[in-house]
Amino acid sequence: MRWLPASLMLAAAVLALACAGRLNAYWMHVAIIAMYYAILASSWSLLAGYAGLFSLSHMAFASIGGYTSGMLTQWLHVPIPFGLLAGVIVCCAGGGAIGWVCLRMSGPYLAIFTLGFSEIVRITIATEDDVTAGMAGLHTEPLFASATRLPYFYVAFALLAASLLLMSLLVRSRWGLFLRAIREDEQAATASGVAVERCRIVAFAIASGFAGLAGGFYAHYIGIMTPGVGDLDEMAKLVVMTVIGGMERLPTAVGGAFVVQFLLEWLREYGQWRLPVFGIVLLLTMRLARNGLLTPLWLPFLRLGEARGQPLVAAPTVPHKEPGT
Amino acid sequence: MSGRTELVRGVGLVKWFGGIVANDAVDFAVAEGDLVGLIGPNGSGKTTLINLLTGHLAADGGEVRVRGQRVSGRPPHVFAAMGVARTFQLTQLFGRMTVLENMLVPGLTRPHSTWEEVVRRARRNLDFLSLAHVERLPAKNLSGGQQKLLELGRCLMLEPAVLFLDEPFAGVHPRLRDELLERIRELHRGGRTFVVVDHDMESILRISRRLVVMARGRKIADGAPDAVRADQAVLAAYAGL
Repeated sequence: MRWLPASLMLAAAVLALACAGRLNAYWMHVAIIAMYYAILASSWSLLAGYAGLFSLSHMAFASIGGYTSGMLTQWLHVPIPFGLLAGVIVCCAGGGAIGWVCLRMSGPYLAIFTLGFSEIVRITIATEDDVTAGMAGLHTEPLFASATRLPYFYVAFALLAASLLLMSLLVRSRWGLFLRAIREDEQAATASGVAVERCRIVAFAIASGFAGLAGGFYAHYIGIMTPGVGDLDEMAKLVVMTVIGGMERLPTAVGGAFVVQFLLEWLREYGQWRLPVFGIVLLLTMRLARNGLLTPLWLPFLRLGEARGQPLVAAPTVPHKEPGT
Repeated sequence: MSGRTELVRGVGLVKWFGGIVANDAVDFAVAEGDLVGLIGPNGSGKTTLINLLTGHLAADGGEVRVRGQRVSGRPPHVFAAMGVARTFQLTQLFGRMTVLENMLVPGLTRPHSTWEEVVRRARRNLDFLSLAHVERLPAKNLSGGQQKLLELGRCLMLEPAVLFLDEPFAGVHPRLRDELLERIRELHRGGRTFVVVDHDMESILRISRRLVVMARGRKIADGAPDAVRADQAVLAAYAGL
């Protein structure tokens, strides 16, 4: 039963793959975009939810990843997979650098700093017409020549599954424990032997790398990159998705991305009024369910898995004995 | 101190906060097996000294040595890796993490540690501290005294050479305080070295083998508890006599 949460996710994945062929082109596009946001939401959850680093530069890294891959494939005719890889590497390096510069910052200071970085990236992309094609948008090579979106669905699915697997391994490792300790109390974490600075830099680098991967896929799916990909509205949307789902767990962050993206499409007939509705949902979430609306639905499965599973190591019964002897 | 390995030494430590000197050329050394009580009136610089000796503050003057190696200016996790553990004046736990997870964090920072071994050791330490029954609770749900015990347990997970405990008895129920005192004594008998800062003179005098007194940022006495208690300078600074 310890595998119950993983089994549930696997079942959901199989169901999604089985149903993919039945979706019409419109809903398949919505599903693909939801998976793009799911990669971004889960990686932002790694940064903000697990490590407590409330960065607002995540969409800027998605933008950097997309433009890097787009420009390399367009101008240097680099194969798309290498373009994507280059985008990931550039974002990892950039994320690590931002993490290093922000080492002493947290809370609102970190948010404002990363917001500033994000705006610098957006404005630079918008104004450097010769390099980025500016506001007109950079046309990018499509990933497939196929007339249907199904191959894109499978690629998005594979990228999301691989990203979640890697991030799950990370959060279940000692690094995940250290990140949560840093979120709870940085001073106590460093007193406990955690190399806080290294962990923060690595968290920024990894999360930014996943953002770059998502951005790269988006560039080669949509076929055009514009500065709007990294703007504040997009970042706000990502925050809403993650917070409404539950930012302290990867599955709830992913669920948040799907729920919000599908609801946005479903409520499209209400035009701009659907956005205030999400604002109200966000307010209610922060007031009534700080761990997100999906966390209460996900936790019982985790508890069921824990309750029926074998403990990692049986508790010893040595009474009041000097430890370490 | 002769014959025993010196674990931590601060030489001529100076720390300024604005125009106020918190530590004024303080020399302080701890040797293996010591159980030092560090006392002094409020604002005498005790916590600042601990912060300097554990890497949580950088000194404006002087240097810190751990096992003879100069470590001034290094981050606290380096001190922890060298066996210097500490608790905080106001308990600092990983509140939303479970008691067991609180113990695992320092344990897993040790080189070559494995999850199974660290979990086993954490449970043994929790058992020793009478916290085994709450291992699945979030640390923030523990009582004040249990939180102090957990903070001590977290230090033990580092397998430290020396533990600096900053006001471990403050606000703790007398029954839990006695338990805490007993655990410190037991650990000391097992070979652990302690520096304990507290205002609870009764508790400090019950366990200390050596007493260090600070006043106005300076060390004014250092020696056996009986000798220090009779010191006129200490009486003047501490009791205003």
